[in-house]
Amino acid sequence: MNPNDEPAPDRPATDRLDARKLAASRREAMRRRARRIRRSVAGLAVALFTAAFLAVYVQLASGHDPALTAAKRRTSATSLKASAEQTSTEAAPAEESSTSSSGESSSGESSSSSTGAESSSTETSESPSAVTTSQS
Amino acid sequence: MAAEITESFECFGSRCSVVVSGGTPESTAGAAASHARRELLSWHRRFSRFIPDSELSRLNADPRSEVPVSALMARFAQVALEAATMTGGLVDATLLDEIESAGYDGDLGHRLPLEMALKLAPPRTPASPAALERWHQIHVDAANGIIARPPGLKLDSGGLAKGLFADVLAEELSGHDAFAINCGGDIHVGGTAALERPIRVESPFDGRILHTFELAHTGVATSGIGRRSWLDGSGRPAHHLLDPASGRPAFTGIVQVTALAPSAALAEIHAKAAILSGPRLAHARLPHGGVIVYDDRSHRVIQPPPAITLRDLSALIQSPASSAAHHV
Repeated sequence: MNPNDEPAPDRPATDRLDARKLAASRREAMRRRARRIRRSVAGLAVALFTAAFLAVYVQLASGHDPALTAAKRRTSATSLKASAEQTSTEAAPAEESSTSSSGESSSGESSSSSTGAESSSTETSESPSAVTTSQS
Repeated sequence: MAAEITESFECFGSRCSVVVSGGTPESTAGAAASHARRELLSWHRRFSRFIPDSELSRLNADPRSEVPVSALMARFAQVALEAATMTGGLVDATLLDEIESAGYDGDLGHRLPLEMALKLAPPRTPASPAALERWHQIHVDAANGIIARPPGLKLDSGGLAKGLFADVLAEELSGHDAFAINCGGDIHVGGTAALERPIRVESPFDGRILHTFELAHTGVATSGIGRRSWLDGSGRPAHHLLDPASGRPAFTGIVQVTALAPSAALAEIHAKAAILSGPRLAHARLPHGGVIVYDDRSHRVIQPPPAITLRDLSALIQSPASSAAHHV
């Protein structure tokens, strides 16, 4: 026997049992904490995603698509520019008017002409022109 | 907004127009409007029952039980089937023989004024589906372009085709800023700019405007008995909206219905079903809104269901009490 060896402490069986229980409870506490953190992270991610999704969905569903608004602004700018160009060249025919051999006519801005059965016109206004529905 | 190009012309026996604004990478507004006009005129020649060699006339006269047709004709037959299915047979596109028997077999000649037609008309009763339900015998194979039906069963293009044409053109013009296609009263408006367009509903009695809707994307159709009324061989007033049960013109107490719907073809179905249902049930046939004009010249406006906007939502969240008070 090695003289340096000290005799093992003579712990009672109950102490060993307590130590095991303590270790097990610490392990359990660590697991609970890990679960709690995992749940919090997952919940937060889902909440953030849902909030972002709802915000975008409501924005688009309510007809306030930012891309469309930007397109509308561009259209207005183009319209103003085109209007200015047409004013400076009054005699020139409108770019988008068409003439065909069937007899329909073309006309410039804010004017129209027809041959009775068919007509073509170009008009610039701030809002879309009205359409009328009646029995056919 | 960009300049609006308008093409206006006679087609389908009435006035049609195509309004387009804003170009796309593929087409200018003017080119698109001209193309739409050409297509409508071409479809008129193919779908008119008054032109003996039109595709519709050839289909109706074909002795085969399975007839190869164009994709658009197959689509029209599908719409006709959908109309009958949705309305339980009330909107029936197989009543061509009956309408010809009633006198609508060509140029109507002298037209009967609406007031006179209403005075001479029989007691008002709602229409009901035909007992025979011939439309059940139609089968459409859209993939192969075949319509199967017993020889002799004829299809009438009528307003359903005009609604379909407006929808087909709307698909083609969907990339433009704004457009409105008016196929003789069947209208489809839309466009990427989502600009609200005034849609005016005309009275069948005096042509005054009864109501104006402001909508950016919608189908609209007006059906009525005012414009095409005549006296038949027996001196009875007649028009083109038939009661499928009797095969005779329907006098239900309603002279005109304008219906709103996501598509013009669906609006046409709703409008016809509403007028045939009579005053008691007509409003139930207009889930997307519309205008009903009665025999006594009165009218009822059914507003389209309100769209929930971001502003409405935020107002609801911020002041529920004031909102509740407003509704009370």
